[in-house]
Amino acid sequence: MMSFALFKATLKKNWLLLFIFFGVLFMYAAVIISMFNPDDIAQLISMLDAVPEDMLKAFGLTTAITNMTTYLASWLYGLLMTSLPMVYSIILANRLVAKAVDNGSMAYLLSTPNSRAKIIITQGLYALLSLAILSAALFGTGVAMCEAMFPGLLDIYAYLKLNVTTMLANIAVMMTAFFFSCLFNETRLSLGFGSGVPIAFLLITMLGNTSDQVKILKDLSIYGWYDPVKVVEGSNVLGLDLVYTGIIAVLFIAGVLIFKRKRLPL
Amino acid sequence: MIEVKDLTLTYPSGKGIFDVSFTVRQGEIMGYLGPNGAGKTTTIRALMGFMYLDRGTASINGLDCWSKATEIQRFLGYIPGEIAFPDGMSGDEFLKLMHDMRGTKDTKLQNRLLEMFELDPKGKIKRFSKGMKQKLGIVAAFMHDPQVLVLDEPTSGLDPLMQNRFVDLVLSEKQRGKTILMSSHIFEEVEKTCDNVLIIKEGRIVVHSDVQTLKASQRKGYVIRTKEAGAMVQALQAAGFEAGIVTEDAVEVFIIAQDADRFIKTISGFTIMDLDVKSQTLEEVFMQFYSREGER
Repeated sequence: MMSFALFKATLKKNWLLLFIFFGVLFMYAAVIISMFNPDDIAQLISMLDAVPEDMLKAFGLTTAITNMTTYLASWLYGLLMTSLPMVYSIILANRLVAKAVDNGSMAYLLSTPNSRAKIIITQGLYALLSLAILSAALFGTGVAMCEAMFPGLLDIYAYLKLNVTTMLANIAVMMTAFFFSCLFNETRLSLGFGSGVPIAFLLITMLGNTSDQVKILKDLSIYGWYDPVKVVEGSNVLGLDLVYTGIIAVLFIAGVLIFKRKRLPL
Repeated sequence: MIEVKDLTLTYPSGKGIFDVSFTVRQGEIMGYLGPNGAGKTTTIRALMGFMYLDRGTASINGLDCWSKATEIQRFLGYIPGEIAFPDGMSGDEFLKLMHDMRGTKDTKLQNRLLEMFELDPKGKIKRFSKGMKQKLGIVAAFMHDPQVLVLDEPTSGLDPLMQNRFVDLVLSEKQRGKTILMSSHIFEEVEKTCDNVLIIKEGRIVVHSDVQTLKASQRKGYVIRTKEAGAMVQALQAAGFEAGIVTEDAVEVFIIAQDADRFIKTISGFTIMDLDVKSQTLEEVFMQFYSREGER
């Protein structure tokens, strides 16, 4: 099913990339959490009045900040927790398959008794697991920081629900980029489509957030199918989680099948 | 045993290989020659299972090269024509990865090969010279003692000493019954190791011959320096040799082995200042082969 030897080599080569993205997101989370001040909510809202409302909405920020959990859902999960993992996904997905085909080193992996499917499944699982670990680590450190600084203010269950949905959306985007990495033999095309499509998703979501008239745009984007604030306020996302899981599975299987059948210029 | 029958594999550009058929028996070394872009690497891609065929069949030890590619890798050694290693690895990490992915553990042969080619695999591969990378590729291809070897220009970038080591290695593997298909540009290497030679041109096999025949047909070129260049050319041409004037006091002449005696006698009457062997590349040797095939 998968090659542990290859998984180990992939981990060794790519853990630093994951660590850097974790570091940056952790820093943002720490700053945003520490900025929360239950007494100064009103002051924070008045500060935001100076900024046009549409622009705030584009960045996923809502002015109805009432508690810690919605505050984080808006400030952290409105844009940061999707856009940075998206950049990570674009870089990683291209590295895992297309780059090795483009530079020819895939020939060595295939000159061992491991099938193409096994190699792609190994690389895809690394992509998937690394994002899961990133989400888990950010969730864990986030909860710990909230509890240390503002004990009892965070609704941990709601926050977990939001983290799961965000993670699945991010993995769906990772698998989109991974699919293109399996489809194309050249880094140029893999990176072009693998970054173009996710960036388009993100921009469409930002645009859709600006006003109710263009809200329909959000339906076109993987990121636009949930509203972080509504998720923590209690909307049911189980169905959506299943949709994301389905997309992940379909893209993963499609990537493996395409790679298995195509001609490789090695 | 490598068996290829009516193999056709075309690229969208229309280039490719057409109706290629050959067999490499067990214990045989087949040289695979041809100009750049003739289709050598394409044939090897088909054998490695990197590309499916449009028509025909390709099999190694009875296993289909496309559908059974994974099984074939258990007893196959491969050197890519353009070696590219996974990024960011050191030489020993790479060899370890190959062992792990093959499920082999024994490093005895690996160490012997490293010693034979005087390669220290420590340090990042990125910093290796071209020759070192090639040596690493050779070690990776032979270290699991495969029964069949597919080698795409295995000595490119090696110095003559190491090329000889490689010839020794191939000959000793041959004695142990290995089946080898080897593409090459170096005539000496092919001459010393191969039993038979295939020559491919524009995607089609144009010559399938044993090495002795190829060798016998090899013309040797000489450059003779003499004051009587014009007269010498006339004498040589009259005797049926292919000769021409290079500069005003140098004559170029091509002969095949069996004409050596007649050649010496033809020019014995002239005053010769210098005699140089004009070395011929493998391409030149087989380009001749083509033209003679064409005349027939």
